[in-house]
Amino acid sequence: MQDKESYAAIVKDLSLFFKEHCIYEGINLQIPKRGLTVVVGPSGSGKTCLLRALNRLNECYSDCTVSGEVKLFLESRWYDIYNEKVCLPHLRRQVQMVFQSPNVLPTTIEKNITLPLKMAGGVLKDSVEEALSAVGLFDEVKDRLKKPAHTLSGGQQGRLCLARALALKPQILLVDEPTANLDPEKTEEIEQLLMRLKKKMTVVAVTHDRSQADRMADKMFKM
Amino acid sequence: MRQDKVFIIFSWVTALFLLGLMTFVFGYTVYHGTQSMGYALFFDDVSFWPAVTGAGRVWEGIWPAICGTLSLVFTAMVIAFPLGLATGIYLALFAKRAYRRVALSLIDLLAGVPSVIVGLFGFALLLFLRESFFPQASTSLGLAAGCLAILVLPYLIKLTCSAIDGVPTSLKVCGEALGMTPWQQVWHLLVPAAKEGILEGVILSFGRCAEDTAVILFTGVVANAGLPYGFLGKFEALPFYIFYHTTESQGSSDIALAFGAALVLIMITFVAAIAARRLTVRRHHAR
Repeated sequence: MQDKESYAAIVKDLSLFFKEHCIYEGINLQIPKRGLTVVVGPSGSGKTCLLRALNRLNECYSDCTVSGEVKLFLESRWYDIYNEKVCLPHLRRQVQMVFQSPNVLPTTIEKNITLPLKMAGGVLKDSVEEALSAVGLFDEVKDRLKKPAHTLSGGQQGRLCLARALALKPQILLVDEPTANLDPEKTEEIEQLLMRLKKKMTVVAVTHDRSQADRMADKMFKM
Repeated sequence: MRQDKVFIIFSWVTALFLLGLMTFVFGYTVYHGTQSMGYALFFDDVSFWPAVTGAGRVWEGIWPAICGTLSLVFTAMVIAFPLGLATGIYLALFAKRAYRRVALSLIDLLAGVPSVIVGLFGFALLLFLRESFFPQASTSLGLAAGCLAILVLPYLIKLTCSAIDGVPTSLKVCGEALGMTPWQQVWHLLVPAAKEGILEGVILSFGRCAEDTAVILFTGVVANAGLPYGFLGKFEALPFYIFYHTTESQGSSDIALAFGAALVLIMITFVAAIAARRLTVRRHHAR
C-alpha cells in the first residue's frame, strides 16, 4: 500500500446511475500523482463516465445519480468532491477534460484558447503560441488564428481542444480516446506529448486500444 | 410513388399560392403607395429642417407618425427585450421541469390574448393609477410601450427559450468542462450560439410593435400630437395614421395617403430586419 500523499485521486465505492440504469457500481481506484493512468475496457463499459466522475461532469446530464467518494488532491489539500461543498467551475479548471469528439467553441482558433483562459483569469500573453506549440499545432495554424475553429480538420480540432485544456494549466488532465481521430504519425506525437505531460501533471486517459495502453500506462485500470 | 407525386405537387401549389398572395398584397400596396409618395406625404408643405426638428408643425405629413412609431417600438423593445431574453434563458437552462411546463403554458396563453384586450388592460391600469396614487396619469407613449411590451413578451421568451434549447448539448457540456461559471456560459457561449433564434424573436416583436393599432388606440395615440416629446406625452403612429385615413376617408386622396403610410411602415420593418441581421453577422465575425 502506497502512502496516501503519492496519489492525486482516490475513488472509493463509486456508483453511477442514469435514471434506473446502472453505468457502474462499486468502483475503487487510486490514481498516482504525476503519472499516466489508463482506463481500458469494452465499449459501453462506462470508461468515459468514470472520467467525467472525476470532475463531476456527469451532473450536466439529466437524471444522473452518483454515490460513493472521489477524493482529489488539489492545491495542497484533499477535496472530497461529492461530499463537501466545492466550487464546480474552479474544480473543473483544475481537472480538465478533453472529449473524444472534438468540441471546439464556435469562434476563432485563437479565441478557443484565450476565451476560457480569460474567464479563468489566466495570463493571456503568449498563451496561444505556447498551448498550440505543445500539441504540435502552432505551425499548421499560425497564419489562420483568426479563422473559425470549425474550419480545421477533425484531428486538428482534437489537438486544439487538448491545447485549450493545457492553456488552463490543470493539475489533473482527463483525456478520452486522445488519438481516436488521428493518423499514426499524429498518434505517436500525441502519445509522446502525454508522456511528457505526465511528468508535470496527473493524466488519466481512456482508450480502447490495448497496445496503446500497454505502451503508455504507468497504471492500468480495467473496467 | 403516386402518393409522393401528389404530395410534391400539393407542396408546390401551396408554396406558390402563398408566394403569389404575398406578392399580390405587397404589389398592391406598392402600386397604391407610390402614387402618394413624395415630399408632401412626409412633411406636408413645411420645409425640411423645421419639419425634422419639430420647429415647424407638420399637420398632414407622416413624419410625426414615423417618429412616434420609432419611439414607441424602441421604448417597447427596451422594456421587453431584457425581460424576454432573461426569462427565455431562465426557462431553458435553470427552471425545474414542472415549473417550465407551467410557465410555458401560461406564456402560450398570453401569446393568444388579443391585442385589444392588452389595450383594455392598459386603459384599466391607467384608471386604477388615476384613482390611486398617480392622479396625473394619462394615456402616453410610456403606457402604450409598456402594453406593447406585454404583447410581444411571449414571442421573445418562446423564441429565446427554443433557440437556447437548440444549442447542442456538447457545447453546453464544453462550457462546464472548461470551468466557466453559469453566467460566463450563458453570455459567451449559449447566447452567441442561439443568436439567430433570438434575433428572429426581436424582428417578429419589432414588426408586431410597429403594426399594432388596438393597443395604442387605448393607451396614447392621437391623430395630431406632432413629434413625440417624451415618455409621458401623447404621440402619433403610422398604423393609427393608416387606420384614421381609411376609416375617416374623405376621398381617394386619403386612401392614397394611407397606402403611402403603409408602404413606409413595411419599409421600416423591412429595413430594421435587414439591419438586425447585418449587425448580428458582423458581430459574429468580430467575435
